[in-house]
Amino acid sequence: MQRLMFFLRLFLWFSVRHLRRHWGRALVVLLGIALGAAVFTSVRLAVHASLHSFTRSMDFFAGTAEKVLVRPGGYLPEGVLGVLFTHPAVKDYSPLLTTHVRRADGKGDSFLLIGIDPLLDPSFRKWRIHGDRDKAVERWLELMREPYTVILTEPLARELQAGLDTRLKLEHTRNVAEFRVAGILEPQGLALVEGGRVAVTDVATFQELTGLYGLLDRIDLTFNPKATREAIEDLARELPPELELRSPSAARDSGTAMIRAYQLNLSVLSFASLFVGMFLVYSLVALNVASRRRELAILRSVGASPGMLFSLFLAEGVILGIGGWLLAIPISSFLVKYLLNVVSQTISTLFVRVQVDGLVLSPLEVAVSLGVTLFTAIMAAFQPAREAMGIAPKEAMEISQTGARRRRAARRLAAWALGCIVLGVPLSLMPGVAGMPLPGYVAILMLFVGFSLMAPWMLERLGRLLSPLLKRFAGMPAYLAGRYLRDSGARTSISVGALITAVALFTALVIMIHSFRTTVELWVRQTVSGDLFVTTKMGQVNRFRFPIPETIVADLKQLEAGADYVPSRRYQLSYGDFPYEFEAMGMETFLKHGGFVWLKGDPEKIRPMLVKGDGVLISEVFATRTGLGIGDTFRAQIEGSQVELPVVGIVRDYRTDGGVVFYSWSHFKERFHDPQWSGVRFFFKEPSQDVDARVAKLRNAIIERWGDQLDLISGKDLREAVLRIFDETFTITTVLLLIALAVAALGITTTLTVMVLERTRQLNTLFAVGGSLRQIRSMIFWEASFLVAAGEMAGLICGFILSYLLVYVINRQSFGWTFLYVVDWGALAWSLPLIIATALAAAIPAVRLVFREPPAALLRER
Amino acid sequence: MPPSSTNEPVILAKNLTRIYPLGDSSVVGINQVNLNVGPGELVVLKGNSGSGKSTLLSLLAGLDHPSSGDLVVAGHNLSNSHAADLTRFRREVVGMVFQSFNLLPTLSVLENVCLPALLAEKDLETTRQKAIELLEWLGLKDRRDHHPDQLSGGEMQRTAIARALINDPALILADEPTGNLDSRNGTVVVELLAQLNRDAKRTVLIATHSDLADSLATTHIRIKDGALTDATCNG
Repeated sequence: MQRLMFFLRLFLWFSVRHLRRHWGRALVVLLGIALGAAVFTSVRLAVHASLHSFTRSMDFFAGTAEKVLVRPGGYLPEGVLGVLFTHPAVKDYSPLLTTHVRRADGKGDSFLLIGIDPLLDPSFRKWRIHGDRDKAVERWLELMREPYTVILTEPLARELQAGLDTRLKLEHTRNVAEFRVAGILEPQGLALVEGGRVAVTDVATFQELTGLYGLLDRIDLTFNPKATREAIEDLARELPPELELRSPSAARDSGTAMIRAYQLNLSVLSFASLFVGMFLVYSLVALNVASRRRELAILRSVGASPGMLFSLFLAEGVILGIGGWLLAIPISSFLVKYLLNVVSQTISTLFVRVQVDGLVLSPLEVAVSLGVTLFTAIMAAFQPAREAMGIAPKEAMEISQTGARRRRAARRLAAWALGCIVLGVPLSLMPGVAGMPLPGYVAILMLFVGFSLMAPWMLERLGRLLSPLLKRFAGMPAYLAGRYLRDSGARTSISVGALITAVALFTALVIMIHSFRTTVELWVRQTVSGDLFVTTKMGQVNRFRFPIPETIVADLKQLEAGADYVPSRRYQLSYGDFPYEFEAMGMETFLKHGGFVWLKGDPEKIRPMLVKGDGVLISEVFATRTGLGIGDTFRAQIEGSQVELPVVGIVRDYRTDGGVVFYSWSHFKERFHDPQWSGVRFFFKEPSQDVDARVAKLRNAIIERWGDQLDLISGKDLREAVLRIFDETFTITTVLLLIALAVAALGITTTLTVMVLERTRQLNTLFAVGGSLRQIRSMIFWEASFLVAAGEMAGLICGFILSYLLVYVINRQSFGWTFLYVVDWGALAWSLPLIIATALAAAIPAVRLVFREPPAALLRER
Repeated sequence: MPPSSTNEPVILAKNLTRIYPLGDSSVVGINQVNLNVGPGELVVLKGNSGSGKSTLLSLLAGLDHPSSGDLVVAGHNLSNSHAADLTRFRREVVGMVFQSFNLLPTLSVLENVCLPALLAEKDLETTRQKAIELLEWLGLKDRRDHHPDQLSGGEMQRTAIARALINDPALILADEPTGNLDSRNGTVVVELLAQLNRDAKRTVLIATHSDLADSLATTHIRIKDGALTDATCNG
């Protein structure tokens, strides 16, 4: 304890006072760390909020169910309840139906309506009607007694401006009906599902509203404690073969996995800012060691151990880390509010629907943020602290300060660098771990570390190569700059390392985003082709579970002679735990007007096979997740049909519902059952100038007849909306990138400032032997130019390699998709000079430091 | 600039004063100093720490501006010179030798010597040749490709002397040139400076605590509390 107190006192006297004296430098470093930590923390908290809402929602919804009985792609017949009622293995069961509805006047967003059996459901899910016990029971009974009664959650009631006994007109795909609000749920259990935007009604009312007479979505089951595995298997055998017993957590687990993959992806990107900030800490601590060498020698000469010096500077790193993290708190609180919305929208768009009720301050996330920030700062301070350990006491006796020429470790570091970069190759080829591309991320880290370690060798080479040339063409200042950087070693390399990281990230993300967008544009043009898209009302939010009525279908078929139509039916299925979509579509007509973005297989051979119904086309995501390839057999239970078809091709598809399987609609009907239509798209046969007018005319004709039952959108609007969604999902990435660049610019400023301060005596000597102020400042600008040039060159190369990793490894392993690799040379061309200009601007503060004190004062012997 | 062949003083200071502001108060570096040093003199300037030696040398070297008074060095009026003039002055008129040598660690011995000439944008080859001659004269021919951290103290100071001579300055100023050297090397350095004065007729001013140069000086000056207290000429 005494030793600790002594150390703290010494730390206060020696380190803290010094940091306070040079508070400007410390502030720059703290700001850099704060930005990095704020970004990292905010991103994780924002995703955590979505994850928390999603898992909580799913858990409350699943309740205590041990298994869930479903009919893939369709509905369960109520008759199955009889089997469950009599089977000895089953303890409790509860039927359930869900759909999304909205206010009939179209105001507000849609919300979840759950149909339950009020008698059976309480065994599974927690929900309680507000009010004293008797009142609550009364209202609960009303649900069963009176049709079209509904119980709302408090937030939903507020939103709908509804209270007890209020009459609400609600709209569904198939119907509009007036409900009476029979009660308000207390905020617990089921009432917390979907961010608290839930309404509950009786199963019978639900069936009447939706037309699903005698049908159920699912039946939740619990088993008798003494039920054996054989008994449960016996139950499965007794049930109709098209039904499946599933784990209630399947949907939750797959959704959670997708959100976690996204969280990891964003965390790694945001960690880049912290990684760059690490260079700032290194610069400052290294400067402190270098500039206080004499003092450290004095400390050693009066009895301080090497370990003590090591601890002092490591503690500086700790203080900077903690200080930066604390400074990040106000920045985070501002940033997270923005990110919360954007992140939850992105997750809802790309993966699973989430309704975030608010920020959840997870102690674990806060601890992770602090831990990562501290670890980064400590790692950054480690090397300078080690250097401090090596200072000999006799240096206190030395008056002259020749200034050590850095040892030539450049080649050794370059060897390590090559090793790190090469190690990235096998790592990038390794499969993901638990669905996460962890080896891929380690490969990225190896890449950054490798290129950063390469910096001293690069600077040496650059200095050696360019200095003689520059002496001839640009004069002494450029030559001196080159010579200094050539021999300066690790100190300047740190700044180059920071810039390499930032430029690499920038380059890679520009390429990745451009590649993704270009591929999505191509996909949208080909696969989301069509002039007018028609679905059932609220079809998208209800996942196309309600087909278009036959009368409407018959009418639509005859509506427009000048247009071809492509019907489609989508089924939401699961392959093991992986959700995907099966789409039966009018293949022949579709291939006449649109197409697919082919990944594997010969399109010329595959197209006729698709038209003839000889096989299915699977998306890249589906292929990646399931391991199925061309020639393998696709199997699925779809409603009452057991589908078995060969896989004939693999295509790129960026539908946000995960993997997709395509098959011919007409052949599905012929071979299996009539899938009906969940939607149809129209293609005008003759291309013309006034497509918009023709679309409007067709649209009006449909609305006139069936506007109350169908949703319509023009192909142009749909394609624009899809691209807009993709652009919005990359907003976060762009923000993270800009912050990383800002931190790197701070790094350049700090390093150049350090370089000037460290060489104050040398620069003043130059002045004394005849160097003009202009020449000396020019030298510093040349040094900055060398650093930036080295950083940009290496950063570009690193960035291209990183972009390959992002496109072909990280994205593939995280989300299952890749895209066409397309480089946006234009964006790179104009942005790189911008980075150079920014970095050089960052040199200005350092240049101004030169001769802040008169040379005479600095050159005097003390 | 070659050694002066006229009788015009190399250093002429009249009522030279330098005051340093320090917060609310000020510190007098030198006060009303009058100095006249002729061509070819070897002047030893003595004084304790804080007496104003370095201040005076800074002014003479064109590193600092006087607060008041006149200062003319080798015909250059330093009282009101612009930065560009001072730069030219430091390149062409004066050569500085420091106590801590102040060599640039990333440059070799030869490069350190060439540095002032190259900053003055003189011809590289000519400069290089001259530097080699200087290093030969100073016994450093075999060390020309070494870096300062590979040299002894005496070798570093001799390199610094070579650097000070590369542009043929009219005046050589040495601020405690033997301060970081042992007595043997110190003697060598002082001898070299004396040789420059004697044989090459350079005007040399040495600020020092040491007695090594006493017998070799043509003029002795004492400074105390910013004022000259004694000036004696030897012959």
